[in-house]
Amino acid sequence: MRRLLFTALVTAVAIPAAAQAQSWRTATMSRQLQGNDAVRVFVEYGAGHFSVRSVDEGLLYRMSLRYDEDNFEPVADFSGDRLRLGIEGTRRNMNLKGGRSGALELELARGVPMELDLEFGAVKADIDLGGLALTDLHLSTGASESLVDVSEPNSALLASATFEVGAAQFTARQLGNLNAERIQIDAGVGSITLGLDGRWQRDARIGIDMGLGSLELRVPEGLGVRLRKDSFLTALDSEGLVKRGNVYESLDFDDAERRIVIDLDAAFGSVAVVWIR
Amino acid sequence: MTLGLAALAFPSAGQAQLREIVSKSVSASSSATTLGLEFADEGTLEISFENGTVYVDGDAVGTYQPGDELDIAWREVLGDAMALENGPLTEMLAEWTVSTDIAATSGVAVALDAALQDALRDVGVLVSADDPSFEGSFEDRSTLVRALIGSASRLGVLEEALAGLDSEFRVHVGEDVVVPEGSVVEGTMVVIEGSLRIEGEVRGDVVVVGGALDLRDSGVIDGEARVADARILRNAGEIRGGLVDVLAEERDVEAELRDRIREEIREEIRSDLRNEIRNVTRGHDDQSFSIMSPLRPLIRGVGGVLEKLILVFVLGLVGAGFLAFAGENMDTIAETARKAPGRAAMVGFAGSFLLIPVWILGTVALAISIIGIPVAIAWLPLFPLAAALAALLGYLAVARNAGEWLADSSFPWTGWIRKSNPVFTLLGGLLGLTFAFMVGHVVSIAPFLGVFSGLLFAIGSIITFFAMQIGFGAVLLTRGGRRREYHGFDPDAAWDAAMSVDVDDDFAGASSTGSTGADGGEDVHDA
Repeated sequence: MRRLLFTALVTAVAIPAAAQAQSWRTATMSRQLQGNDAVRVFVEYGAGHFSVRSVDEGLLYRMSLRYDEDNFEPVADFSGDRLRLGIEGTRRNMNLKGGRSGALELELARGVPMELDLEFGAVKADIDLGGLALTDLHLSTGASESLVDVSEPNSALLASATFEVGAAQFTARQLGNLNAERIQIDAGVGSITLGLDGRWQRDARIGIDMGLGSLELRVPEGLGVRLRKDSFLTALDSEGLVKRGNVYESLDFDDAERRIVIDLDAAFGSVAVVWIR
Repeated sequence: MTLGLAALAFPSAGQAQLREIVSKSVSASSSATTLGLEFADEGTLEISFENGTVYVDGDAVGTYQPGDELDIAWREVLGDAMALENGPLTEMLAEWTVSTDIAATSGVAVALDAALQDALRDVGVLVSADDPSFEGSFEDRSTLVRALIGSASRLGVLEEALAGLDSEFRVHVGEDVVVPEGSVVEGTMVVIEGSLRIEGEVRGDVVVVGGALDLRDSGVIDGEARVADARILRNAGEIRGGLVDVLAEERDVEAELRDRIREEIREEIRSDLRNEIRNVTRGHDDQSFSIMSPLRPLIRGVGGVLEKLILVFVLGLVGAGFLAFAGENMDTIAETARKAPGRAAMVGFAGSFLLIPVWILGTVALAISIIGIPVAIAWLPLFPLAAALAALLGYLAVARNAGEWLADSSFPWTGWIRKSNPVFTLLGGLLGLTFAFMVGHVVSIAPFLGVFSGLLFAIGSIITFFAMQIGFGAVLLTRGGRRREYHGFDPDAAWDAAMSVDVDDDFAGASSTGSTGADGGEDVHDA
């Protein structure tokens, strides 16, 4: 079925479309696993639809792309333990108008210890980090609509996860599955939703530095949460939290099996805590 | 020295096997397709169909017609290649052959098929203990090396890699070697310019120069594994004597040297750039002599005048738009700027200072509520845009006043400004407001008058600044020209007021002052 689909796709792009101003190219690139102990992955993508999944077919990565070949070219460079993927511009004055119609679907090897660095711009991103063995994570996004899900627990210990969010709508789910000791979120302008569900295997610290916008913290019942707020003109809806001195804590913080300490530094906006079952 | 050179050059136990694909790249567009393969032994293959030409590894091997049978057949192959990986991909490509119909009409199809099969089916060498043809020994290593390799570039590396090893060995040059699982090879194995896959056991040292070493899970090397300018594809087995990278030290030195050279080049570029920027900012470029040098002041001066004329023309067009669609608003703003320029300027100054605080506070006020956030996103760009529009409208209104003043004046060359036509007065005013700049540009053409041109530019800037402030203030005072600050003389209203005068009271007042006409006139005017 998959072969039929690809054949149809490759044949379909052969039909010249006079109305199209851009020249679209589809590409699939992959590399076999070759006893890779660990790998550092850098992904850059400008505009379009972007997705990340894990793959378990003896592959280090598989990347499927649709891009404007007049302005962009794919990058797939593996050297030593360094893997660089994505699309980069070929001209100084690129036509980004149709860039949003492009797409990059990336599959990365399950279970291979991995430092992952994702950078994307005006992108609609759907990222599932479940199944990946992440030892370091850095995600940077510009003006985007991003959904980051961690559908399965990370099999490696993640020392640090950093999310840099520009002007964006950013949603993260099941952050507990990241198995991270520290999560840092730097947000500019926009709407941020952080789902703290998932399986927390250790206590963790979350740092949130937010400029202007709204933040929703979705906290599962039973998880101990302590919130330290250092903010200016920020409204806090702290339902379910009690104020003790300068911090807000969940009622069962001292007895909770796993505890999360959140350091919130916000300038303008609103913060809401929502409890989920 | 006893050595079977013929055996070394021609593998006797060779057999065809499919090469392992480690990386693939398949792409297709309406005008081109590309298949790129990378093999485990570092070999590569690239087949492209591009604009009517077929390329194999960058070399044109023939032509095709987009949409012809070969193109379609190849796209079908690529469709399958996109979906398949590793073994199944290799098998699919190896099994693919051009149909007899296509082969009969297209020579390039046959060449393409051959290139693909050649690349996929590699001649490897299976080595086992029962295979004596590869055995040899040497006493004079240098002689051996020179006999084996025509290329002098590897000699130094090879000598280094072989230093201190046993004199009993097996040598394979330019071929891929496999030690199958369960087999045992006695003595040192040397592979030059080829890959060595070990699934069995080597009871000795292993040397790989300029190729690749693939040590599988079941593979064992009893002695040392030495690699020189070679890749380690997999290191999953056991190396009892340890792994030695012969060129590690050399590579480190090279890398250090490369970094140093790179840093020096970078520093040189930075220095050049700095000098370039310095020259440009100081205008040193202009000092260098060229055939155009004497004309530069003239070109610059005339260019400056033209630039201002274009600006006047563009502003005139914008002003004409305002006059057409918001003429009354512009009248009101111009009237306020004319009757109370000082007040308008003060309001303009204050408004300019408050712009940024108002912008930030507005943003904050909207952002505090979640509902307000979308409005805030609109507010962020729209507020500065509205302020810029207000300043522009105000400046044009002041320009129109200036045009009317010039029309009334007795200056020469202002006779063409007709007050009856607001577009003419607007253009005249704009020329008047930018006049100092234009004269400054003209003066700058003459040598030694830089001070005067600078003075004129300064005067032009001051005029522009005040015109902007007065105009912006007038826009604020009149709420964008919607609220009239000063009412003009209305004869109907004056007549009504005159008729409603209480004659008795006025008469009484007139008796006491001895005058009626002047008082009555003032009353009417005040009304």
